[in-house]
Amino acid sequence: MIPSIGSQLVDLGSALLLLTCFAIVAQRRLSACVDLFALQSVFLALTATLVAFLTGIHHIYIAAALTIVIKAIVIPRILKKVIERLNVSRELVMHINVPASLLICGMLVMVAFLITQPIIPLGHLLTRDSLAIALAIVLIGFFTMIARQKAVTQMIAFLVMENGLFLGATAATYGMPLVVELGVFFDVLVAALIAGIYTNRLQDAFDSVDTAHLSELKE
Amino acid sequence: MLDAFLLIVMQTVVLLATAPLMVGLIRKVKARLQCRRGASVVQPYADLIKLFRKQPVVSSTTSWIFTATPYILFASTLAAGLLVPVFISRTPLSFAGNIIALVYLLAVGTFFLMLAGLDAGSAFGGMGSSREAIVASLTEPAMMLSIFAIALTAGSTNLSTIVHKTALLEGIMTDPSPHLMAFAALVIVAIAETGRVPVDNPATHLELTMIHEAMILEYSGRYLALVEWAAGLKLLVFLTLIANVFAPWGIATSMESAALGVGLAAYLVKVSGLAVLIGILESMFAKLRLFRVTDLLGAAFILALLGLVFFYVLRG
Repeated sequence: MIPSIGSQLVDLGSALLLLTCFAIVAQRRLSACVDLFALQSVFLALTATLVAFLTGIHHIYIAAALTIVIKAIVIPRILKKVIERLNVSRELVMHINVPASLLICGMLVMVAFLITQPIIPLGHLLTRDSLAIALAIVLIGFFTMIARQKAVTQMIAFLVMENGLFLGATAATYGMPLVVELGVFFDVLVAALIAGIYTNRLQDAFDSVDTAHLSELKE
Repeated sequence: MLDAFLLIVMQTVVLLATAPLMVGLIRKVKARLQCRRGASVVQPYADLIKLFRKQPVVSSTTSWIFTATPYILFASTLAAGLLVPVFISRTPLSFAGNIIALVYLLAVGTFFLMLAGLDAGSAFGGMGSSREAIVASLTEPAMMLSIFAIALTAGSTNLSTIVHKTALLEGIMTDPSPHLMAFAALVIVAIAETGRVPVDNPATHLELTMIHEAMILEYSGRYLALVEWAAGLKLLVFLTLIANVFAPWGIATSMESAALGVGLAAYLVKVSGLAVLIGILESMFAKLRLFRVTDLLGAAFILALLGLVFFYVLRG
């Protein structure tokens, strides 16, 4: 049997991830957003380590270590480089302003809870809340991609979504097979690199990283 | 009966004696982080003694509200402090009110302070009162909701029942995810209510930024001493509330002297730790523009609401 204090700690870790999500949505400064994403990845790695320890499945340790290296160190470095090269440091014009975004995110969390509520008693999950929180994080990431204009913020939102998926996979199925996880990490890293290059090209072409300019690309 | 009386006296003494120390500790931490040596942590005591000895100056245009406010503020804040478990899970005034009474006792003090700010008729006082009204009206719902989130898991709105139940528990917390949301919300509320940095700057007298300092600009002598002491007490009440509701480790659950000693030591360690944390947070953030404060308090409200949602949807 799994001790209840362990599952409480996993719940606490998932809740910390959700909390950093809200901080990212409320934050206007791009570099602070990157720092918050790195912090969220550290929380994710700690939660995954805890799950690995409680279930005795060793390959989750590898996934947690990769999370630290790739998502908490390498990708934030790449993003910081991109931000340094751009002349914008904060999100000035938003499609949806901060208080409204926060309200919408709150509603998304409720939606995620209502959807997962009938599923949770069916499976043999380690914790009560992780799956619901993971879905909520995915939805918030998706929403942030829509609501923000700057390419850098959209990248961070995409990575937050990926964090949510990883949390869901670890909480619900105790991690995917190692090969799949390695593939996902590689994909995320390459995606961050490509998005970084693409953001620089956007800056060169339009003198701005507002992705709305892309709708002007016509023959 | 004697026990209850003794407890009231002990808790009053502990609260009144610790409040200036926390103010001094936060100032010291901030000074250290700014590479200054800073005043000693007992400096606020010396300030209070000095102010009590000085003659107060009262403007001839003010009404009785101006002179009565320091006493009302001090008394209501102290009464609020007696509703919170400090070093023992029993509270001296638990028969008299619950957590909702605590919120509104603090609000009475804020209300009279706002009136006193307007009373002298100076532009700064009025400005401070109007800003305080914005902050106070926005913190109240967030505070109530975060407190309800805790009260629901404990099944009671009485603080001593909540703390007693949590203290006797095996695990780390009764319910980590909703409690974390409520905790984050309550920290933001505490920072806003006690006039700390992202919302207000306690060390400024710049007319563009001050909120609390603007309201008490007209006070001097013993009145100022009472207002300052009450402000320190309010900070301590919030720190105590956060420390004992979310982490009641070491708190005494009976009236034995050994348990009381451990409880008192644990209490001082926890509250000092939180004060150091606030000092660090104050040094990390720049003050928000007044119109951005609503964003921060809105975030606190959403987080507190989520704490409740956790309870209703996932535990329902």
